[in-house]
Amino acid sequence: MLEAYGSALAYLFGNPSSFLLIIFSVIWGIAFGSVPGLTGIVGVALLIPFTFVFDPTAGLLLLSGVYVGSTFGGSISAILFNTPGSPEAACTALDGYPMAKKGQAGKALGIALASSAIGGIFGTIVLMLLAPPMAQFALNFGPAEYFALAVLGITAISAIGGGSILKGLVAGLLGLGIATVGLDPITGTERYTFGNLSLLTGISFVPAIIGTFALAEVLQRAGEKTSTAEVITDVSTKLPSMKEFMETRFTLLRSSSIGAVIGALPGVGATTAAFISYSEAVRWSKRPQDFGTGVAEGIAAPESANNSAVGGSMIPLLALGIPGSATTAVMLGGLTIHGIIPGPLLMETNTQLVYTVFIGMFIANILMLIFGIRAARYFALVLKAPYALVGPAIVVLCMTGVYALNSNIVDVGVMLAMGAFGFLLRKLRYPIASFVIGLVLGPIAERSLRQGLVISDYDYWDFVSRPITAVLLIASLLSLIYGFYGQWKRHRQDRGSPAATG
Amino acid sequence: MLSLKITTIAAVVAGMSIAAPAALAEDYPSRTIEVIHSYGPGGGTDRFVRAVAVPFEEISGQSMVPISIQGGGGMPAFANFQQRRVDGYTLMAISPDQIIAHALGRISMDAFQPLARVQYDQGMIVVPADSPFQTIEEFIAHARENPGDLTVGITGAAGFDDTVMGLWNIETGAEVTTVPFGSSEMVSNTLGGQVDAMHEEYGPARGLIDSGDMRPLVVFSDERLPVLPDVPTAVELGYDVTLGRWRAFAMPADADPAHVETLYGLISEAVASDAYQEVQEQAALQFRSELLDPEEFQAFIEEEIEVYTRVLDALGLLN
Repeated sequence: MLEAYGSALAYLFGNPSSFLLIIFSVIWGIAFGSVPGLTGIVGVALLIPFTFVFDPTAGLLLLSGVYVGSTFGGSISAILFNTPGSPEAACTALDGYPMAKKGQAGKALGIALASSAIGGIFGTIVLMLLAPPMAQFALNFGPAEYFALAVLGITAISAIGGGSILKGLVAGLLGLGIATVGLDPITGTERYTFGNLSLLTGISFVPAIIGTFALAEVLQRAGEKTSTAEVITDVSTKLPSMKEFMETRFTLLRSSSIGAVIGALPGVGATTAAFISYSEAVRWSKRPQDFGTGVAEGIAAPESANNSAVGGSMIPLLALGIPGSATTAVMLGGLTIHGIIPGPLLMETNTQLVYTVFIGMFIANILMLIFGIRAARYFALVLKAPYALVGPAIVVLCMTGVYALNSNIVDVGVMLAMGAFGFLLRKLRYPIASFVIGLVLGPIAERSLRQGLVISDYDYWDFVSRPITAVLLIASLLSLIYGFYGQWKRHRQDRGSPAATG
Repeated sequence: MLSLKITTIAAVVAGMSIAAPAALAEDYPSRTIEVIHSYGPGGGTDRFVRAVAVPFEEISGQSMVPISIQGGGGMPAFANFQQRRVDGYTLMAISPDQIIAHALGRISMDAFQPLARVQYDQGMIVVPADSPFQTIEEFIAHARENPGDLTVGITGAAGFDDTVMGLWNIETGAEVTTVPFGSSEMVSNTLGGQVDAMHEEYGPARGLIDSGDMRPLVVFSDERLPVLPDVPTAVELGYDVTLGRWRAFAMPADADPAHVETLYGLISEAVASDAYQEVQEQAALQFRSELLDPEEFQAFIEEEIEVYTRVLDALGLLN
């Protein structure tokens, strides 16, 4: 292994231009991640033709650097405009935007950046040290395990809620319900499409998220009477202090671990990792009711998890030739064009390539931190502009971003409808977080439950008695009871002391 | 329109009816050709269009760009294709997915003027290394004795893979149960032994076959693959299962015949180039990717429609 790193370092120093490539790719990635509608996948796909002029190693360095940068980039627009630039940043908006709205945009961006870098480096280290065993471990995850994992994430709805258990459940069920629109994952039957063929593949996630988050927010603020006073006069671009940051260390560790494991599972990636670790952050928090109002853990959890998932999703790609995410699937296509056959033999036959990419990703994460710190301060200044200017700009950004994603005009309609729907949810004080968790994890739970039942020939006992499944499901049940109990207790306390209401 | 009439009259007067289409074809194509498809950027179809586009540009001097319109089961892409002007600059990259959408009554293949079928892949049944089945005969024997007991991972529900395995069930009577996954989950679930086998093409599976982690049992083709000389074809076992994923270009139904001819000429030249052939070989798509001209392709589409409709009907998906 040392020899492999030696040859990788020899490659990097023998080709000083590769450092320039990494710098370029991180900046390119941050840009693509932060502009809604561009996303990291497009950033990677656009660069593939340019990799032809490089050798495969330099090409893969370029692509993985973009992947690293774009995963952080999405958080910038999520925090500043409540408009997640890419799906994996959707979860960051839940607490990032409320914090920015409080005038602490700099702090929110700083937490996102530092968590991204820590998560990213964590994921890369796991990739470096544990790729083959992690890939083997991930193979133990069949449909039953995916189902249990999704259920565990969904049960966090019981702990969110912001006051009303009922409203939390209703919002969660609405999310699960909307996720069932489209073709049935097993039989291919149309469901709730009402004959509209454009809904065959369901309500697309990004338009739905941008509608419920960004557009609904603009609508709400437009309806507020105090809109003239809505200018955030005190925009602090101050980054979080070391002390503030250290308070999130357990969240960071937990979320980075979740990110690396979920990233390594094929078919689920950074977005799922972000939401599950957000769920866990809520569950383990002493003050779960504060989530959604701009707490540091609510930013640290999804950002460290989604960046850690970047390293994680490279594990099955490099160790087995199976892409762990949509972006790595595009990278796999790029590798094939270079004549490299992805598969279990890749790590043995292309040692230099694999280990150079390991080091490259490490460097990319550090570079992200350096560029990000300066960028965060400037980005945060945008909020000093009056909302009367920023609001309409966000609407334009939503429309173009959603259209650019798939060049599909139906998506714009979905975004507008979901904007109205999200506005309604806010007005009636239903928790958006519960709704989105249902929307993200619902399809995974449904699909894997159905797959698992087909495999076990509809034997439910065979399904739940698998060790990993059983452990995860029992944990879900306990957390469900604990979550409801906690809410019920808070509810009683609030009643007992009138001062605490509000 | 007026100029066209004058040209026609002039041509008739001169008694040289060939001159008109030739004159039209001369300055075509004079700008970028756009190829609509319903798959993601960087996916198999996107790469296919780009691979043809490189030599195409060298030969014709005009570029060819893929336009990815995703989602909605390919419907938005098809709608966009139909809304555009029929001027010879809009193509669509089509595959068995369009045949299935036609069979299901969602679109009509009559909307297309077939242009060129370029790639033609072949699927296989692949089992993990620790599978008890060493040969396809053992696999079939078990499936016949225990109908539906064996699970086969496929990509997507009620789509191409389901049709191939549906045809397999009909032809062999060795009935298997399909489990739809996303493509990477399909591979991990097969490797991890959650399902008994998977349906996959040689290109994406070769890494795992080379390393010995997976074992192909049968190839859905007329001839054995030169790279897998020991793996029998379904045809030689007596089962007519040869459906494969193909990638092709189509124009709108009322495209100018002269444009069809010119464009087919350019594409066939591009496909024959070393640049394209190299990309095709790296994706392991060279084994039966015979180029079909518009007429042959039309006949091929008709056969495909017949087979897909028959299988989808047997699967109970047509109503």
